[in-house]
Amino acid sequence: MFERQDEEDIVERVVRELRQPVSIDAALDARVMNEIARPTVAEPNPVARRSITRLWPWLAAAAVLGAILIARPWSHKTIASDAFQFVLVAPQAASVSLVGDFNDWDPARTPMHAAHGGVWATVVPLAPGRYRYAFLVNGVEWRADPGAPAARDDEFGAPSSVVTVGGRGT
Amino acid sequence: MGIDKVEAGDAELVRRIRAGDIGAYAALVARYRDRLGRYAVHMIGDREDAEEALQDAFVRAYRSLARCDDPNRFGAWLYGILVNRCRTTGARAARRRRLFVRDEDALNGAAHSDSPDRVEWADAVGRALAKLAPEYREAFLLKHVEDLEYEEIAELTGAGVSALKMRVKRAREQLQRFLKEAEHV
Repeated sequence: MFERQDEEDIVERVVRELRQPVSIDAALDARVMNEIARPTVAEPNPVARRSITRLWPWLAAAAVLGAILIARPWSHKTIASDAFQFVLVAPQAASVSLVGDFNDWDPARTPMHAAHGGVWATVVPLAPGRYRYAFLVNGVEWRADPGAPAARDDEFGAPSSVVTVGGRGT
Repeated sequence: MGIDKVEAGDAELVRRIRAGDIGAYAALVARYRDRLGRYAVHMIGDREDAEEALQDAFVRAYRSLARCDDPNRFGAWLYGILVNRCRTTGARAARRRRLFVRDEDALNGAAHSDSPDRVEWADAVGRALAKLAPEYREAFLLKHVEDLEYEEIAELTGAGVSALKMRVKRAREQLQRFLKEAEHV
C-alpha cells in the first residue's frame, strides 16, 4: 500500500496531507455576520445609573485625596452587594471607557465619568464570577488596572486585569 | 509565508469596520476562514467543535477590534485569538472524552476522492495527530502546516522559542512512531 514508505520522509508526507484544504461550512460566514450584527444593550443599567448619581460626592472627595489615589489608583471597591466601582486616575484623558467580559469589550457600553482631579469612575453590577477588563483611554490606549492582578490569559495582546466576584478562584 | 505578510487591504478593511461599515468584516471572514478553519479542524479533531471555535474567534475579534493595535497584522492577531479558542474548545472536548473521528467530509473531498489508500492514510494521520499532546500538536501544526516562524509561534502561544522547538521535535518523533505502530508506513 505504501511502497515508497522507506524512501520518503514520513513527516513530510504527514505535512502534505495536513496541508490539503479543509472544507468549512459555507454558512459560517453568514453565522458570523448575523452574530456581530445582533444589537447590543446600549442603555446603561438603571442600577448602575442610580449608583453613579449617588457617587458624585464621593468622587469629589476622591479628587481631594488625589495624591493618595495617584499613589495607589486601585479600583473595583464594592459599593453594594452586586455593584462594583471602577476607578482610574487619568488626568490627561479626554475620555475613558471600561471594557471587559461583562460588556463584550464594547467601549460604547460603559463610558466612565470624570470627576475632579482626573478621577474617572463608573459602577457596574457584577454577578459572581471572574472577569477580565481594561480601560480604554481616549478611544485608543488600552490600560490595565494598575491596582488589580494582570490577566495572564489575555488573548487579544493588550493589557488587561482580572476581578473576581463572589470569592471564586482567580 | 508568515502570518504578518497579510494581503493588502486588511488595514483598510479594519478602518472601514471601525468607521461603522460592518459589512466590510465579511471580506475579512472570507479571507481567513479557510486557512484558520484548517488549523482549527486539525487542532481540535472534530469539525463541529472546530467551526464553533472558528466562529467564536471571528466574533470575538470583531467585538475587540479596537484592541487590534496594528491593523496591518490583523491576520496574526486573529490567529492568536483562534489559537486560544482552540485550546479552550480542545480542553472541553477532552473533558467530554470525545474521540477523534475521521472527518468524512474532508476525506471525501477532492484531494482524497480517488484512492482508498489515500483515505486510509489520511485517517491514520488524523489519528496519529490526535494522539499528540495538545501543546505538541499545536506547535507542529503552526510550524509545519501553517508554516510560521518560531518567533511568530512564540508570539501566538506565549511559549518560548526553545520550548517550541522541543515540542515540534517531539511531535515529529511521536508522529513517526505512531504511524509505524499503526503499520501505515
